[in-house]
Amino acid sequence: MAPKAPNLAGQAVGAPPEADADDAELTQLISACAARNARALRELYDRTAPQLLACMVRILKRKALAEEALQDVFVSIWQRAGQFESRRGRPRAWLMSIARYRAIDVLRAERAELYREAEIDQLPQLVTEGASDWSGAGRSAAALARCFELLSPDQRRGIELAFVDGASHADIARVTHQPLGTVKSWIRRGLASLRQCLER
Amino acid sequence: MKHDDPKLIDSLAAEYVLGTLSGRARKRFERWRAREWHVERRVQAWEERLVGLALRLSPMRPSPHVWSQIEKRIGATAAPGTTPDRAPVDGRRISTLRALAASIAIFVVLVGGFAAWRATHPAMTVLAAITSPNEVQPAWIISADADLRRLRAVAGGGARPQQGKSFELWALPDREGAAPVSLGLMPDSGQLERELTDAQRAALLGSSKVAISLEPLGGSPTSAPTGPVLFVADKARRA
Repeated sequence: MAPKAPNLAGQAVGAPPEADADDAELTQLISACAARNARALRELYDRTAPQLLACMVRILKRKALAEEALQDVFVSIWQRAGQFESRRGRPRAWLMSIARYRAIDVLRAERAELYREAEIDQLPQLVTEGASDWSGAGRSAAALARCFELLSPDQRRGIELAFVDGASHADIARVTHQPLGTVKSWIRRGLASLRQCLER
Repeated sequence: MKHDDPKLIDSLAAEYVLGTLSGRARKRFERWRAREWHVERRVQAWEERLVGLALRLSPMRPSPHVWSQIEKRIGATAAPGTTPDRAPVDGRRISTLRALAASIAIFVVLVGGFAAWRATHPAMTVLAAITSPNEVQPAWIISADADLRRLRAVAGGGARPQQGKSFELWALPDREGAAPVSLGLMPDSGQLERELTDAQRAALLGSSKVAISLEPLGGSPTSAPTGPVLFVADKARRA
């Protein structure tokens, strides 16, 4: 069995901890936030903010705006930490969702301006495909990667543009030069196939 | 909207999570989600299915002011004494800490032997390596950049996480009567890096030892160590 802690001699420093251990630790930190422990929030911030910020910058296209929204996200995490326990889900999915929804709300409210001021060359990139790329998400990420590969290239592109870049149906239609109806159908079918594959 | 069609609910949940459900339909779905548990369940299932897509993005470090703003905004609602970085003042705690420290077997591994490790982390120098007497591998390697602005803690093979507990790192200022200053929690595994505040930096500069105490989950509920001090290590002299 692989050791839980990275082995210094083995140069595993910096490798993501196993997903289950990571989930357990983050869940404990969220519980401590519910008990109003501000140190736990700081710890949660240290461990997750860079990932959440990357996602928000990718959607909002400007770091300053994303950082402002990131503040709202952590205040929201602090306020809603008590709700997390009842839902018993995976902490990274919960945290990432709060961040994504906030970014999408800001994007939809400010988009005209955003397109003009996008800092395109500074956007976080998807790491290239490989063994450790879907870090922090463990087995379920491996399943997602496998099922995602089974989609048609159009479906993959549509879902990725929407989820990762916060693109609307209309944005995707514009970027791909396809009619709106076609784009909606890619996404609808892509999501249905994903669910079917993941539930297998 | 049909409220009892599971297929419809599921496809709305999927498009909501994806972000393509927009405008008024999105707002309406948000209210529905908050009211109905079965809708929330569908949303959660999609959040967990898709999160891996966003976790593939290369992480970005937030600017230091982001945390200060968050801290300001939550400050009034935080439990007393849990606010990070506030300078603690409690004379009794220190003497307890020092007494405990003296009675505990201490192994200090100074700088050296970490050349390979350092080569991959050029900006950081090792401050202290904390090793339990029964272990060959260090529990944590603690390092900082040249200006003591950032601290990094890496859990080694000797780290032994305890359910429901956290390990907290403290600077032990040399000045008589000065209280230990928290430098934050240690990772149970993997590594973490954090910005040091001016108060933490000053405390670290004025300390030749650091200590690790066992605390309730999330760290000491006060601004001083409350649990047993497990390790005390000399801070390595910096070049």
